[in-house]
Amino acid sequence: MLTEETIRLPSGRSWRVFGGGEGRQILWLHGPHGVDPADPFVAALAARHRVIAPLAPGFTDLDELAEIDTIHELVLDYDDLLRHMKLASLPIVGHSFGAMMAAELAAHFPDRAQRLVLVAPVGLWNDAYPVADLFAVPGIEMDQLLWRDDAARAAHAERLKELASALDEAEQIIAVTRSLTALTKFIWPIPDKGLRKRLRRITAPTLALFGADDAFVPARYAADFGKGIAGAETQVVAGAGHMLPYEKTAQLADGITRFLARN
Amino acid sequence: MKFHFFHLMPYPNLPADFRDKYPSVWVDVPANLFDPAVGHRSYQDYLDELEYADEVGFDGICVNEHHQNAYGLMPSPNLMAASLARRTKRAKLVVMGNSVALYNPPTRVAEEMAMLDVMSGGRLVAGFPVGTPQDTVFAYGQSPATLREKYREGVNLVMKAWREKEVFAFNGKYTQLRYVNVWPRPLQDPHPPVWVPGGASVETWDWCVENDFLYANLSYFGYREAQKVLDGFWAAVARHNVEPNPYRAGFLQFVGIADNDAEAERLYGEHAKYFYRNCLHVAPGYVNPPGYTSLATIRAGIQSQVARITRRAGSRAELANLGWKDFIERGYVVAGSPDTVVEKLSELAEKLKIGHLMVLLHFGDMPRETTLYNTTRFAKEIIPRMRDRFSEWEDRWWPREPAAAREKAHA
Repeated sequence: MLTEETIRLPSGRSWRVFGGGEGRQILWLHGPHGVDPADPFVAALAARHRVIAPLAPGFTDLDELAEIDTIHELVLDYDDLLRHMKLASLPIVGHSFGAMMAAELAAHFPDRAQRLVLVAPVGLWNDAYPVADLFAVPGIEMDQLLWRDDAARAAHAERLKELASALDEAEQIIAVTRSLTALTKFIWPIPDKGLRKRLRRITAPTLALFGADDAFVPARYAADFGKGIAGAETQVVAGAGHMLPYEKTAQLADGITRFLARN
Repeated sequence: MKFHFFHLMPYPNLPADFRDKYPSVWVDVPANLFDPAVGHRSYQDYLDELEYADEVGFDGICVNEHHQNAYGLMPSPNLMAASLARRTKRAKLVVMGNSVALYNPPTRVAEEMAMLDVMSGGRLVAGFPVGTPQDTVFAYGQSPATLREKYREGVNLVMKAWREKEVFAFNGKYTQLRYVNVWPRPLQDPHPPVWVPGGASVETWDWCVENDFLYANLSYFGYREAQKVLDGFWAAVARHNVEPNPYRAGFLQFVGIADNDAEAERLYGEHAKYFYRNCLHVAPGYVNPPGYTSLATIRAGIQSQVARITRRAGSRAELANLGWKDFIERGYVVAGSPDTVVEKLSELAEKLKIGHLMVLLHFGDMPRETTLYNTTRFAKEIIPRMRDRFSEWEDRWWPREPAAAREKAHA
């Protein structure tokens, strides 16, 4: 299990930050379901790193977003945390919306990212293969957009259910709604908030990974990220959807670990 | 009590297999289903019907705003109201209303509504809905995370633009204007009465009471379904310790009048089915995106009526199979002889405690003649019998007599 601490910044903002493992410090920015003490992918990364995994603003309390209105202000919010934690520069690994934020951090503050791993990043838009509208589908269909592997999806749901067992059903619905609402503030109605223009600023060695069967962010975006970030490597993972960290956990964690260990 | 003729202006020619063939009547309803010739005829008929309601003595005639849909052909209710302002003389123009967060800058709403008020001689009621998610977040691209905050800031700006007598600067989060100075100014001083059509959001009740806005629950599912909603509103009124005046609240109801129950079914049955089958056929994903309903409202266990009905797959399918008997038994439609209608509407008014009743006398794809027949009978046989209810209360949510407004105009 990961540890959890609440970090209060002088500004009054407080962050829930999960942590685990030993070794080189890396930053994990989570996807649409947040992060929790039993997150299996973070655990896999923590086998060989010290993982620092902050919970995105809004995921605990939507009021955290009251003064965060733009993608730039959101980046500054992350920067505030990293400064407070005295994390000047480290590898950054993100998934989905977290990968978009990892790219934004690395584009706004190129020196912050030693290496950058983007797993199924949102943040770009191509008319030829639009990102699906995740928010225009009922819950069950949302799962169909995100997952390729039914068994992985079921295991994930079961795990979240256990974690949430202290909450009643209404509070579980509220927690999911709160997380998705936080995302809509920054990727509605189209997740292109200018990242395309900023990708050129990224100097960190970058690996972008996509699920071959991702029905939310098509794997074809590999080409757009590859073109936008100088020297970026891209990989398309067979048999995986948008939730590939939870569908191909060991394979992905190994690949990322090898990439981060390169000099 | 006051009685208002509300028109949704549905597109009346959806194919018989519409429900089976297409996922949604809203947002991505296929453009090729729209025949402009049918649209032209519909606007003529619908405006005739609204004008007729003025002639036969309805207190108000109501129009509203919806986008990218075959449910209602009024992306701009202000255009309809402008036409009605010239062609009617007496009825108040209840614009229900402008979804303020969709206008940039929102002073556009203050300007257009002021124009309508001046053109009509002070007959405007200004409605400010948040707007459905289909309209606001899907058709107009607003983030559900910020929609309500933007809406409230916009309404505050409009109200200030009407009240302030001097040029002012507005430094908002969503709108920044160095010079706010609306011309023309509303004829009603300081501004038209404000109505807020709402579903069932906890925050809206308090906000309406705090601002002295009328709260209108626009429902297609009858007064029994609405009891909890109106109870919530009246609880907010009690909480704020203000007068529980029935004219603070409004409700919408389908009504069909005939000589007897069988005749009502013959006249209105198929048209009601058209409405419930087709016009409410909204894809479930479009009715409740994350963030549209506040967490407090979810916690309170209240969802918007359409969301509740369409999200549950069973209920969604059920809408297609409902028949006239269901509509009547559930109170979705109040219909029958004048005695029956008066009895049910009296119960509705008493239970919900609403001074303003908006009625839908046109159902779905109903032809003009049937609508005019229903309208005539409502005006002649229902309104006079219910008029005196709540007469002990003063209606402060209504334009003052046109005479007073005109006097002001000529002063």
